Amino acid sequence: MKKIFAILLVIVCAVAINAQQSPGKDHSKLNITCKTCHTCDVPTKSEPCLVLCPRERMVTVYQKPEQTPELIVMDQISDRYGPVYFSHRIHAQMSNMGGGCEGCHHFNTSGPILKCSNCHESTRKRENVSVPDLKGAYHRQCMDCHREWSHDTGCNSCHQLKKDLKDVKKDNIQKKYAGKQHPVVLEPTKLVYETKSDKGKFVTFYHNDHTKQFGLSCISCHKQESCTKCHDVNRTDKNKNLKVVTKKTFEDQHKNCISCHSKTENCNKCHNDKIIEPFNHAKSTGWALNKYHINLSCTKCHGTKLPYKKVDNRCSGCHQNWNEENFKHSVTGLQLDENHSAFSCEDCHIDKNFAVKPSCNNCHDDYSFPKQKPGKMLKK
Amino acid sequence: MSGKSRRDFLKTSALIGAGVTGLSATAKAGPKNILSEDRMGVLVDTTACVGCRNCEWACKEAHNLPAGNLESYEDRKILETKRRPDHTALTVVNEYSSGKNSNLPVDVKVQCMHCDHPACVSACIVGAFSKHENGSVTWDTDMCIGCRYCMAACPFQIPAFEYDKALNPKIMKCDFCIERTKEGKVPACVSICPVEALTYGSRTDLVKIARDRIKRNPDRYVDHIFGEYEVGGTSWMYLSNKEFAELEFPKLGEKPAPGVSESIQHGIFAYFVPPVSLYALLGGIMWISKRRKELDEEIK
Repeated sequence: MKKIFAILLVIVCAVAINAQQSPGKDHSKLNITCKTCHTCDVPTKSEPCLVLCPRERMVTVYQKPEQTPELIVMDQISDRYGPVYFSHRIHAQMSNMGGGCEGCHHFNTSGPILKCSNCHESTRKRENVSVPDLKGAYHRQCMDCHREWSHDTGCNSCHQLKKDLKDVKKDNIQKKYAGKQHPVVLEPTKLVYETKSDKGKFVTFYHNDHTKQFGLSCISCHKQESCTKCHDVNRTDKNKNLKVVTKKTFEDQHKNCISCHSKTENCNKCHNDKIIEPFNHAKSTGWALNKYHINLSCTKCHGTKLPYKKVDNRCSGCHQNWNEENFKHSVTGLQLDENHSAFSCEDCHIDKNFAVKPSCNNCHDDYSFPKQKPGKMLKK
Repeated sequence: MSGKSRRDFLKTSALIGAGVTGLSATAKAGPKNILSEDRMGVLVDTTACVGCRNCEWACKEAHNLPAGNLESYEDRKILETKRRPDHTALTVVNEYSSGKNSNLPVDVKVQCMHCDHPACVSACIVGAFSKHENGSVTWDTDMCIGCRYCMAACPFQIPAFEYDKALNPKIMKCDFCIERTKEGKVPACVSICPVEALTYGSRTDLVKIARDRIKRNPDRYVDHIFGEYEVGGTSWMYLSNKEFAELEFPKLGEKPAPGVSESIQHGIFAYFVPPVSLYALLGGIMWISKRRKELDEEIK
């Protein structure tokens, strides 16, 4: 009896799986709202009330491009044309700023990477036509980007007619892509946006400050970038630096900035009548960064929470473990000579206020810093 | 036109002539409503279409029209001018500038929409057009007398005429690959489409699928399924990321198109009253003038 029950259970499951790829046993624990897939409040195995294949935000399996296969041969449906040799790894690198893995692998809730053919049937005449067949699914993945930069629909850029196949050898293709990487994307230093705003026509955006100083990763702004931003057959060196006119809405235009610069901030923080200088810690805060501090990311001192918190300009504000015993004065750029290194801090730094100029008056009548120095200045 | 069908036509005419009063009532009913619940249709997703024009080639191949080499269809220059289906190509793809949230041009395949209430069927005076249970609207070349009423009646201006043929010119239009579908195949254009921008399925399913796509991708589509309600519904339906008027789709109401052509035709011929009254009027005038003449002569 138990056996029959088990078989029945398997059949019921098989029917459910057949309709849509199973998301895995523990899928209810995933960070996905149930309504993404189920239309009813209490889905059961027999009545899963599934929506037609959910597409968005259904991926929990991610790999780094370097971990992915270099070349994938797609030959399940080749008829008129030969197989497609798909350089997966280099495409994975390219998609980093264009939607990532999810751009193509849109449904992979758990477990190993699913094959397209798990959900997309290979026949055009079929019962469930809510999702495209395999041929349609493959082409849809590729064609949108390929059309954007090539402006044509030539089949030959991905596969050759079977009659021309003798020139195509897998080994040669494998060699062609072996170890090939998408070149590092060169980042601009400064971008000037000419806007229509009456609060100041120019927005000067220091790209390198945002990535290096403020520690933003590429994909924190470039989430859905199109390949045509760099690659376009119509783009020549001549028109490379031409002004690009965008048709974005106000919200879209400000979307990337206001995730850090709060909406309530003054417009003039970014908008100005002229092109502005890059951020300078000394000018803006009155506290120049020395050779140690200049290498730190902002968040190291100011915390990750925005707006950045103000930091006490006394060393002990951050360096709480510094005391008279362990402090090496040379980190300040001045190595104390033998006589001076024996003193306590207060002897020169009155009231331990390190922000103001040290005083020599405790011992010397007519000495003053920095005219006279209690040691040797180190190279900055 | 073959002798047999001419005889058929004459027989039909004679019958109509003989039973004017009796039969004119049935003539007014227009094509019988044979719409089946699971009639087929095609959903054209113009946001998926890449404009490769393979469908044009496949259509010609399937209908024995000169098709040429498939590779020659990769030439995109032809998309710079807008074309209409004609007797050499029963379907054509036109390209328009990009719609919302996209850098890509919009490509639109044009062919017969296979209306649920087709005006051509209703307008055809010899009954050469017919609507089939599976949704397709076809015509019978042998019965056609070349009056071209169908061309005037069609709200999408689809039926084309072989003007260049002096002898036996034909009306040409997409037949929904009725020969192929009878054999259990999908239409030629649907079969070849590399991106399955053309989804062939039951019309009821397609409407559901189209609604679902709009609901789930509101950024990708305008909220309109062209053909769901236009002229009472069509078998071919379209999704787009641009207003359909901008893609040169005609602006049509939800009333079936035959209503218009039928009311004109039937208005003229209803119960043969207008012709009969015209003859009666003429006869009356003749009678009066004759009588007047007689009276005049009597007075003389």
